[in-house]
Amino acid sequence: MELSDWELVQKCQSGEMSAFQELVSRYHQKVFMVILGLLRNRDDALEVSQETFLRAYRKIGGFQGGSSFYTWIYRIAVNLAIDAQRRQKRNPLDFRDNMDSLLESQNEVARDPFAEVQDRELRENMIKAINDLTPEHKAVIVLRTIEGLSYKDIGEILGCSEGTVMSRLHYARKKLHDKLSSFL
Amino acid sequence: MNECERIEQSLGRWLDGELSAAESEVVRAHVSGCARCGAAQKTFEKLERVIGNVLVAAAPRIEFASFWRDLERRMHDRPPWHKELGERVHAWFAAPRTAWVIPALIVVVLAVFSYDSYFPFWRSRSNLATVESIDAYGRSVAILREDESKTTVIWLYQNQEGDDEAAEETPQPGPAF
Amino acid sequence: MKLLKKLPSRVLLFSWLTLVAAGTLGAAEKQPQTVQVSIGTILASNQSDEFDAKLKGMEGQLKVLKYRSYRLLKNESQSVPWRGEKVFEIPGGRTLTVTPQEFRDNQVSVKVRLTQGQKPALDTTVKIPNKRNFILAGPQHEGGILVLSISASAQ
Repeated sequence: MELSDWELVQKCQSGEMSAFQELVSRYHQKVFMVILGLLRNRDDALEVSQETFLRAYRKIGGFQGGSSFYTWIYRIAVNLAIDAQRRQKRNPLDFRDNMDSLLESQNEVARDPFAEVQDRELRENMIKAINDLTPEHKAVIVLRTIEGLSYKDIGEILGCSEGTVMSRLHYARKKLHDKLSSFL
Repeated sequence: MNECERIEQSLGRWLDGELSAAESEVVRAHVSGCARCGAAQKTFEKLERVIGNVLVAAAPRIEFASFWRDLERRMHDRPPWHKELGERVHAWFAAPRTAWVIPALIVVVLAVFSYDSYFPFWRSRSNLATVESIDAYGRSVAILREDESKTTVIWLYQNQEGDDEAAEETPQPGPAF
Repeated sequence: MKLLKKLPSRVLLFSWLTLVAAGTLGAAEKQPQTVQVSIGTILASNQSDEFDAKLKGMEGQLKVLKYRSYRLLKNESQSVPWRGEKVFEIPGGRTLTVTPQEFRDNQVSVKVRLTQGQKPALDTTVKIPNKRNFILAGPQHEGGILVLSISASAQ
């Protein structure tokens, strides 16, 4: 029978490395996707993902189950990603180039070339528009879109109220809509 | 604000499933009967799809085995002590900026009210003693204040009849000096 | 209360520590326990041109009095509690009674009484900047006049 996150945490706290490995296997992809959504660079996202789990490993002794494990790990991930964003010196154009190469690596079904160009242009503009959001607004969009987390969970992760999450999401979506209205 | 504007404000929360059952029903009923709000819903859903495509579909899968191998190696390599100490100190002070307003405000308020303790010369500009009251028992007295040497002098004038300095002599009426 | 709950606990801790530290410092600064009262008894005259080397630090102040000679007769320092009085013997059968009143705005308020024998000659209340002095001059003595330097230092 599959153990719950909390049971695995308790096993980690008593020194079982295999329990921590199981937690990492459950969340490494999700954490990576959230961080990639914030950083827009694969290598940086991988580095920060590793750092997230390293921090979690060092702090797991103090985790008391006040929040769920996933909100705890996402909180670490988002904080590290926001710190990394502030240190990032890259030009937004590099981000777009990175995303382009990522998009091209997708196995896309061959479609009408005109539609493909339109879609590509929409995605490029979307990437730029997301990147132009502040780290806090980007974080709510990423957590809501990628993870489908509730406002309450997002608030717990970001350390703000549900009302703040709601207003940030509303603002971010409006910004994205305004920038991309001609494509939508 | 008209009904459509109100519904448009709630559209995001409705589609995110954050409204109560009653509120959801109100929005659903309006959207299904209003062309403008129906179009707004479709635009919203398209926007969410595109965001999802960009964020989710674009994310490559990372292979767990190599991820775990790298992570394990890092877990066993302890960072230098100064880096660990720096991280701990940083974690302690990495509170949201607005939260630091409170202690910063306390320090500013205290500094304003206690500047004179640290810069007494600012307040005591004259740095001269001040005579608040004086009673020379009928004798003439002068008060002299001299800024340059920061001196306050209370001068007791000699009585014309003269003062007898010897305490054991019978006190004479009139001035003592 | 909701706002307080959302603040990181360490920030609340720092805020409390700041307040406690300020309160302690404030208490320490605002309530000096005793006052160190110093009385310098100087004889000023025109009988010579002697200037006592021990009075070098007061040269600027004494020159205001326009005498040619200044000699330190004695220097006495006593710790006096607030509202407590201390009597200093002054040459010529005189006494000087000093009573520190209060400490406010970095100034020490002192009540001073000069007596000749049993009779009061002068009562005055003076506010002295902390660690500074004022001068009481005029009583005749040995062909010159007595100059009393009265200073107070709140501790």
